[in-house]
Amino acid sequence: MSEEQLIIPWEIDSTLGKLYVPPYIEEMALEVLQHYNFKVNQMEVMATKEEKGGLIWKIETDQGPKSLKILHRRPIRSLFSIGAQEYLRKIKKARVPSIVKTNTGENTVEMGGKIWFVAEWIESLYEVKKDLEGTKILSNAIGEFHHLSKGYVTPIGAEHASRLYRWPKAYKRTIKKMKWFKDVANTHNDMPASRLILSTIDTFQEQARRALTMLENSPYSQLTARGNKEWGLAHQDYGWGNGKMGTGGMWIIDLDGVAYDIPIRDLRKLIEESLENLGKWDVSWILEILEAYHEANPIEDAVFEILLIDMALPNLFYKNMKEMLYEPRLFLDEKLKSDVERIIELDHTKWPVIEQLRKEWKGGKNK
Amino acid sequence: MRVLIICTEKLPVPPVKGGAIQTYIAGAVPYLNENHAITILGRDDPSLPDEEIIDDVQYVRVPGKLLETYREGIVNFVKDNTFDLIHIFNRPRLVCPVRDVAPNSRIILSMHNDMFKIEKIDPAEATKAISQLDKIITISNYIGEAIVKLFPEAKPKLQTIYSGVDLDRFVPIYSDKGRKLGDWIRKEYELESKKIILFAGRLSANKGADVLIRAVHKLTKKHSNVALVLMGSKGYSDNRMTDYIAYINAMANRFSIPVITTGFVQPDQIQNWFAAADIFVCPSQWEEPLARVHYEAMAAGLPIVTTARGGNTEVIEGNKNGLIVENPDNPEEFVTHLSTLLTNPKLCKQMGQHGRNFVERNHSWDRVVSDIANVWKEIDYNIQNNTTIGSVTLQGKKQLMENIQDTEQKEANADQEIQGEKRDKNINTRLSVIEEQQSPITQKTQLRKKKKLPYSPFNRSRSKNLGLVSILF
Repeated sequence: MSEEQLIIPWEIDSTLGKLYVPPYIEEMALEVLQHYNFKVNQMEVMATKEEKGGLIWKIETDQGPKSLKILHRRPIRSLFSIGAQEYLRKIKKARVPSIVKTNTGENTVEMGGKIWFVAEWIESLYEVKKDLEGTKILSNAIGEFHHLSKGYVTPIGAEHASRLYRWPKAYKRTIKKMKWFKDVANTHNDMPASRLILSTIDTFQEQARRALTMLENSPYSQLTARGNKEWGLAHQDYGWGNGKMGTGGMWIIDLDGVAYDIPIRDLRKLIEESLENLGKWDVSWILEILEAYHEANPIEDAVFEILLIDMALPNLFYKNMKEMLYEPRLFLDEKLKSDVERIIELDHTKWPVIEQLRKEWKGGKNK
Repeated sequence: MRVLIICTEKLPVPPVKGGAIQTYIAGAVPYLNENHAITILGRDDPSLPDEEIIDDVQYVRVPGKLLETYREGIVNFVKDNTFDLIHIFNRPRLVCPVRDVAPNSRIILSMHNDMFKIEKIDPAEATKAISQLDKIITISNYIGEAIVKLFPEAKPKLQTIYSGVDLDRFVPIYSDKGRKLGDWIRKEYELESKKIILFAGRLSANKGADVLIRAVHKLTKKHSNVALVLMGSKGYSDNRMTDYIAYINAMANRFSIPVITTGFVQPDQIQNWFAAADIFVCPSQWEEPLARVHYEAMAAGLPIVTTARGGNTEVIEGNKNGLIVENPDNPEEFVTHLSTLLTNPKLCKQMGQHGRNFVERNHSWDRVVSDIANVWKEIDYNIQNNTTIGSVTLQGKKQLMENIQDTEQKEANADQEIQGEKRDKNINTRLSVIEEQQSPITQKTQLRKKKKLPYSPFNRSRSKNLGLVSILF
C-alpha cells in the first residue's frame, strides 16, 4: 500500500528551457495514455503551468491530433469543469473541444493526485484581431457560451464551483490588498515606482470602497437569489487566447476555471483588456461590444448595473500591482512607474465614460 | 455501550495527515475504549485499509473529500449496523441523514468550528438536526454562543469541553528538558542572544502575522534584541506561495531584525520552537473558535499576547498568564504589551509559570477524556431511563452536575498534593517519570509517519526552512 507519487509544482530555469517537464511526469503521461484506444505517434509540450503543476501536450495519434492535459486544480474541482465541457459539447452542441473517452468509457484519468484528460485538437484555430471587429466577435462568442451554459448541474462526485455569491468577498479582498501594496511600497520606498504608487494608492483604494458600497446597494442579492443553475457559467479566463476562430465559428477553449457566476464578469474583463490596448475609455467602442454580446445573451438592466459597478473597481491598477508582492526589489522599477502613469491616465478617461454608458445604453436598442 | 464515532470527510483517522479533530479523536479513544465498544467511521486514505481493528477499536473508512460523497458512505454503513450512541464531529449536516437510518440511536455532536452558520447549513436542516441531538459539545463558549445566537433552542444541550495539550511533549522553557530543546534551536538559527517572539499558525490574513510583523518592526526602535519566528505555512503540509505570504515576506525581508519563517513544521516537532521562544503572540484578526496554540504556549511556560477575538480570551486569566489586545488590527497595542513583557523578565516568568499551572490544572488530555466519558455516561443514563430522544432531562442534568462536582473534587485533591512542593522541582520530577512511561497519546504521535517535504516557497527568501508546523482543523 505504498503511497503514489504526487505531481508537485516544478521550477524551470534558462538551462532547462521553458517547456521542461520532469521525467516522472513524462512517465505518468505514457501510463495515462495506456487508458486510451488510439495509438500515439508523437507528443509535444505546448504549454506548462509549472508553478501549479499543470501542463498541456499536443499528441498526434492514429485517430487524429488531440490534446492531453493535466489540470492543476484539486481533482474534485477539475471534475466540475470536465462535466461542464461535456455538457456544453454534448447537450448544447457548443463549439468547445469534445472530450475523448478512455477505453473504459471515462472522461478522465486520475494520476499523481491530478485529473488528466484527452480532448480533440481543433487544428484550424487562429486568433481574431485586436481591433473593434475582433473584440466584437469575441464578445458575441462569450455571450453564446454564457447562454448555452445555463442549466448545467454539478456532477455527483465533483466540487460545486461557484463565484456567484462571492462578489462582496472579492471586493473586500481588493480593498485589503490595496493596503498590502501600500505597506510593501512603504517598506521599499527607495525603489523607483514606490513614491508614485504611494501618492495614488489611496485614490484607488477609495474607488474600491465605493464600488463595494454600490454593490451592497445594488440588485446583486436579488440576482444571485435565482441560483447557480439559472445563471450558468463564466469562463473566468476569457480573452484572445481562449476564444479562437475556427471551423464553424468561434471556439472556446481552456475551460478548466469555469464556475457558476453572474457571467457578465467575463465581458467586463474583455472590454477592459480591449480598452487597455486602445489606450483610452471610449463610449461608442464599448457600446458596440455590448451590442455584440447582447445579441447572443441579452443583458437585462439589473445586470447592466452590476457591470458598471464591476467596472468601477480599480481592476487594471490591481492587476498590475499584484506582482509587487512577490519580487518588490525587481518589480518596483522604472517600468512599473511608467505603467502606473499610463494607468492613471487611462483611469481619468474612465469615469466620464461610465456615466455616459449609464445614459446611452438602451438595452440593446441602440441600433 | 456500542459507540460510533463519525469523523469529518477531510482527513483520515489515525491522523496520518494531521488535523486537530483527528488528533483529538486518536488521543481520546484509547481511554474511552476501556468501557465501550467503539467503531470509528472516517474517510479513506491510500495508506490505510478500508476496514481494520486495532486495539479492539474498529475502523471503517469510506470515500471522503466531498461531504455529499462521504454522507452516502456514512448512511450506507449506519443503515446496516446498530449503535447505542453516535458521536458526530463538526458536521451538523450529517445529523439528519444519520437519524433517518438510525431512528433509535442517541446522537451527540462535537463542534470545533462555527459550522451552524448560514453559509454552512440550511437553517431548516440545522433546526431539525438540533432537535435530534441529546447533546452538543463545543470546544469553547464562543462556539456555543454562536450556535445559540442563531438557534436559541440549542442552549440546554450545550456543553463546553475545552481541548487539551500534551503536557509531556510541550515542556516549560524553564525546565531542564525545555532549556535543552530551546538551546539547540537557538544555536541552529544563531539566535542565542535574542529575545524570541513566536507566532504559530497558518499564514493567512485571518491569523494576523502581518500586523505582528509591523508591530515588531516598531518595537525594535526600543528593543533591538528581538527576533520574530513565524512558524507555519499556507496550510497543512502545504508550503505553496500565496499573495499573503509574498506580502509578509516582502515586508519582513526589509527589516533589520531577524524574521525566521519556518515553512510547514510537522505537528510532532512544533514543541521545539515553543521551547526556544520567550514570548508567544496570537495576533488573530478573525473570530476564531479558540486556537490550540494558546494551550501549547502555556504548556511551554510562555507569557502570551493574544487578541480579543472569538474564544481566545476564555483561557486568559487577566494579566496572570497573558495580555489581551483589544483592537487586533492596530500594531501599537501589540507594541505596548510586548514592551511591557520585554522590559520585565520577572513578569514573563511569572506569567509563564501561571500558564503552565493553568494548563496542568485544566487542559490535560486526561481531563478532556474524562469530560467526554462523562457525557457518554449521561447518554447511557438517558438510554437506561428511556428518556425521549433529543430531550434534555432533569435527571440527565443532575447526573451531569454530579459528574462535574466529582471532577472538581478530584482536581482540588490533586492541587492539595502539589502544594508544599517547589513547582519547578515538581514539574521536572513529573517530566522524568513521564519520559519513562510515555502516555498512549505521545506514543501515537511518535508513530505518525513522517512525510517527505515538498518544495518550499521560503527558499526564495533568505530565511531558513526548518521543515515543519501547523494546527489546522
